[in-house]
Amino acid sequence: MNILVCVKRVPLTGGKITLTEDEQAIQTRHLGFTVSPHEECAAEEAIRLIEQHGGESVVLTLGPPEAEEQLRDMMAIGIDRAIHLVSDGGEWDPQATAAAIVAAIEADGTAFDLLLFGNESADAGNYQVAVRVAQALRRPCVTGIKAITADGDSLRCEQEVAGGRDVYAVPTPAVVTVKEGINLPRYPSVPGRMRAKRKPLSASEPTRADARLEMVRLVLPPGSSKQAEVLGHGPEAAPRVVEILQEIGVV
Amino acid sequence: MALTLVFAEAEADELSQQAGVFAAGLGHDLQAIAFDPSETYAPAAWAQTLVGLAQERGATAVVGPGTDRGNEVLAHVAAKLDQPMAANCTSVTAGDPVTVVRTRWGGSLLEEARVHGAPLLLTAAPHAVAAAPFAEVEIVTVTDAAGELDRVVRVVERIPASTAGVSLADADVVVSGGRGVGSAEGFSVIEELAALLGGAVGCSRAVTSAGWRPHTDQVGQTGTKISPEIYIACGISGATQHMAGCKGAKRLLAINPDGEASIFASADYAVIGDLHAVVPAISAEIRKVRST
Amino acid sequence: MLATSLTLFTVRVRFLVALLRAGAPLTRAGDVGRRVEHEGTIVLGQRKLLARIGPGLIHAFIFWGFLVLGPTIVIAMIGAVSKHATFPWLGDQGWYAFLVDLFAVLVLIGVLCALWIRKVQRPRRFEGSHLGEADFILGLIATIVITLLLWHATRIALGLNEWPASSAPASDLLSHLFARDGLTRVLERVFVWAHVTTILVFLAYLPRSKHLHIASAAFNVWYGRTGAGGRLEPLRFDDPDVPEEDIRFGAGTSADLTWKQMLDTFSCTECGRCQDVCPAFATGKVLSPKLLIMGLRDQVFADGASIVTARAAADAGGGAAGADDAPALDLTALVPDAVPEESVWDCVTCGACVQACPVSIEHVDHIVDLRRHLVMVESSFPSEAEPMLRDVERASNPWGKAQSERGDWADGLGVRILESGDTAPEYLYWVGCASSFDERARTTAESTVKLLQKAGVDFAILGAREACTGDPARRMGNEYVFQAFAEQNVETLNEAGVTKIIANCPHCFNTLGNEYPDFGGHYEVIHHTELLARLVAEGRLTPKRSDALQVTYHDSCYLARHNDVLAPPRDLVAAVGEPVEMARSGKQTFCCGAGGAHMWMEERASAINENRVREAVDTGAGTLAVACPYCTVMLDDGVQSVGAEMRVADVATLLAESLQD
Repeated sequence: MNILVCVKRVPLTGGKITLTEDEQAIQTRHLGFTVSPHEECAAEEAIRLIEQHGGESVVLTLGPPEAEEQLRDMMAIGIDRAIHLVSDGGEWDPQATAAAIVAAIEADGTAFDLLLFGNESADAGNYQVAVRVAQALRRPCVTGIKAITADGDSLRCEQEVAGGRDVYAVPTPAVVTVKEGINLPRYPSVPGRMRAKRKPLSASEPTRADARLEMVRLVLPPGSSKQAEVLGHGPEAAPRVVEILQEIGVV
Repeated sequence: MALTLVFAEAEADELSQQAGVFAAGLGHDLQAIAFDPSETYAPAAWAQTLVGLAQERGATAVVGPGTDRGNEVLAHVAAKLDQPMAANCTSVTAGDPVTVVRTRWGGSLLEEARVHGAPLLLTAAPHAVAAAPFAEVEIVTVTDAAGELDRVVRVVERIPASTAGVSLADADVVVSGGRGVGSAEGFSVIEELAALLGGAVGCSRAVTSAGWRPHTDQVGQTGTKISPEIYIACGISGATQHMAGCKGAKRLLAINPDGEASIFASADYAVIGDLHAVVPAISAEIRKVRST
Repeated sequence: MLATSLTLFTVRVRFLVALLRAGAPLTRAGDVGRRVEHEGTIVLGQRKLLARIGPGLIHAFIFWGFLVLGPTIVIAMIGAVSKHATFPWLGDQGWYAFLVDLFAVLVLIGVLCALWIRKVQRPRRFEGSHLGEADFILGLIATIVITLLLWHATRIALGLNEWPASSAPASDLLSHLFARDGLTRVLERVFVWAHVTTILVFLAYLPRSKHLHIASAAFNVWYGRTGAGGRLEPLRFDDPDVPEEDIRFGAGTSADLTWKQMLDTFSCTECGRCQDVCPAFATGKVLSPKLLIMGLRDQVFADGASIVTARAAADAGGGAAGADDAPALDLTALVPDAVPEESVWDCVTCGACVQACPVSIEHVDHIVDLRRHLVMVESSFPSEAEPMLRDVERASNPWGKAQSERGDWADGLGVRILESGDTAPEYLYWVGCASSFDERARTTAESTVKLLQKAGVDFAILGAREACTGDPARRMGNEYVFQAFAEQNVETLNEAGVTKIIANCPHCFNTLGNEYPDFGGHYEVIHHTELLARLVAEGRLTPKRSDALQVTYHDSCYLARHNDVLAPPRDLVAAVGEPVEMARSGKQTFCCGAGGAHMWMEERASAINENRVREAVDTGAGTLAVACPYCTVMLDDGVQSVGAEMRVADVATLLAESLQD
């Protein structure tokens, strides 16, 4: 079975987020980068499926030249090769992203049995790239999956829902998005990291279509200045606490 | 007048109702659509049905709740129509193009965006607006236009949740106790509040070291990393090792008798007081609110 | 008989030497002065053994006795062949006969006392040691000296002594047991042959027993570390001469051990001094440094023949081409087959074992090498430490805090942040992750800068350009991640033209000062207590002393034991209050429990920090002074968990408070 995993390079924001002056991006000077968490689990899942069933695993990213680091990270834990769609680092909207991925899959020519994505990227959170790719390639798609079992030409996929798990039986080739918690990604070994440096990586520079979901600017949400709002002293605070809980929607 | 279709997961679903209130901001006529309860969830088929309805009625917008299913169905609609879709919007401003404010980074950041497409496809971020009941919900079944490929992905089985309750890592609400709880028995008030909120019980390292709770309950750098909608930390001082485990929490409510406790520096909400008085009072208040 | 014994001895020694030659390379050359000094103090002077005066004297008697009695082996062999011949000159000397007599008695006393300790006292440190073997060896030694004394006694009785009988009072006393008759003449032959035979048996047995240390300890001490105890040997990942498949990632099997590590295992006497001082062992963990070394030794001996054979085959093959033909070694994994996995992770790298070891075994290096293999090759380690490893690597600090917030603690304090291209200050203040991000440790940084400002010291911090030194990753075993940070930080520091560094974290202090030179970073690194003590001594800071303030100072392992910083923090404590020492202080300090990356691991069994806090509480002092941010957090937690009323504060904070008007 051949599997393609799509990942995205995102900054590790840690604490408070600050923006660049033009409000087009997060200030990432001094920040580390990683693969979006759901997608790291997708890569781990791909490696486990290949370990069980054999085949080739490929990781793909659309991102700036520095995103090669994330591709190597995924190859360090066992992905076989990488496809890098090199961008200028600017925002690609979901349609443009999906179109670039579809074109890359077609150009690669491998008959992938499974395309794995994260349920949503940690930064943009558009919840749609995988669905668009599936639609374009005319493949079935399930999202938010927390367990995959391959059985012949079918995948049994479990999705967490209120009150339990919904199960889907998806014929391959298929597109699946996974959620963090489906597995615990392994810690990369150093020989693995060294091998990753030599694993094949093909890079190309797709052209970006005009954004149809066009980001104008980023805004810090109100109240992100992190000054705790004192709801009260002692038991008298209870009604105000419950008001807050209702606003959040947990009561 | 222009029409907005609202995809409702269920007639009385709160987040779907919020999506309805949100969609009303466009100033169009609203039509809520829900699938017949006998219909098994099949995202692409449901999307094909909505596409059919939207085209048939000339809808200018389709809006759904910013839930797993809402986002999934709307993404399929968007893919089928090859139109842009903005997920988890907190506000929408009519115009040409329409502008929205949507959440990124799980709500830690907002984005102003223009949506260049028709029909307008949006999902509403949970709890951005208060819910109100739909005037009327149209119950539909899957359209015949849905092809084999659309129908093949559908729920074939439901595994009921184990009775163990929600796991710490996945819980939307985590109520944690620290050294201030004082004893293993002291956790009964924490457990009570967690149960009322359908959440999980957590604790700090000091608590597991003292043997009051198992290590599986520990939130922290060397315990479980959590990402609930709200984290209620009771009698926890806020050591770095603990905070490293709860930095994924969307909101933090700290209850501590010491107004100088370092946890307040990271908290969104603070209650200064003894948890043994405050926590039962909150539980009582929740019961009171629910009974009215 | 002599030939058999010598052959047995030589065969074994040649095998051991071949095994050492097959060990992984390690450079332990140079520093001859220090090595000679170590031989003089540790071997001849028995310094480490004499740290425990009772057992130390016993061993010293036996050891010095062996040195003195060495020549008597030849004398006895000559005497065995001909009762009228002896070694020229020395055999005739009365003073030598006196020394032999004296030391034979001292050795005998030593052996008896040793047996008394082992049979009656039975200290815990012998748990797990080969007791029967030790008894057998003590028996052999006793036999050797008893037969020697009796031989001399019979010679005196027969008038065969080449020296005055009064020179050897003990033998003289014993000679009264023997008449000048035929029986004594027979006994004289019996005793000398018994003596020589026992020695030859001992010689053949020695290299096959824990008494191999007689032969190896002097070498092990010679090749012991001469630099700071806190420095770990770097691994080389980018050596162009080493093909990737041959890179050493620590120790996975006994073939991965360096020759020094093998020699360490040969030298272990199973005395258990390491175990006695180990904080992990003291708090009920699986780790015993002694059992760990013994486990490794057993594995080295079990694998020895195949390692030597494989090495010989590789050498015969001649270079890389032949190496491919050499049979691949299929050795058992050191962990968990020779060493229990838990014990590898129990270590806090405090170095108490290394300091206590009378034969210079370097336990911490063994443990770190085992960790290196587990982490870097097997990706197998306590899962709770994984966030730390990932966060250090991705976020440049062990808690995954935003690196952009590293300098936030200094907001409003008027601290210069050294930007790229700025003129270097006299001192760079290396704040460290804990003092940058941890609420409790930040107080130390705030106090330190206030004091430096008050004294008019020219300093700056790097702000967000400072990254983790890599120490926690290194102690956890991830040398690869450590080296990436070492290289990055050295580049930043060198580019900034930094020459002097103040560190308030002893772990940073150790890494910057002792380990960064291996990566091209050469700086004068001082701990903040050293600079502050100097400023107080120079009168640039004038604290007000309070007799009512009773302070007990806890030595950080990486400050006191690994780097000999003992006096400056004590001077500061004495400048602000009334010092009270704990029993385990100075270089004999007891770890807070955070070392060796334990800040990021869960603790099993009883808590090290609580053990230490109880000792501090027992001093009656109200304040526990520390000089390490991790000690601050661990001991403050410990105070709370034992429910004590004690304030834990960094020395700098106490000093800053004493300056307030």
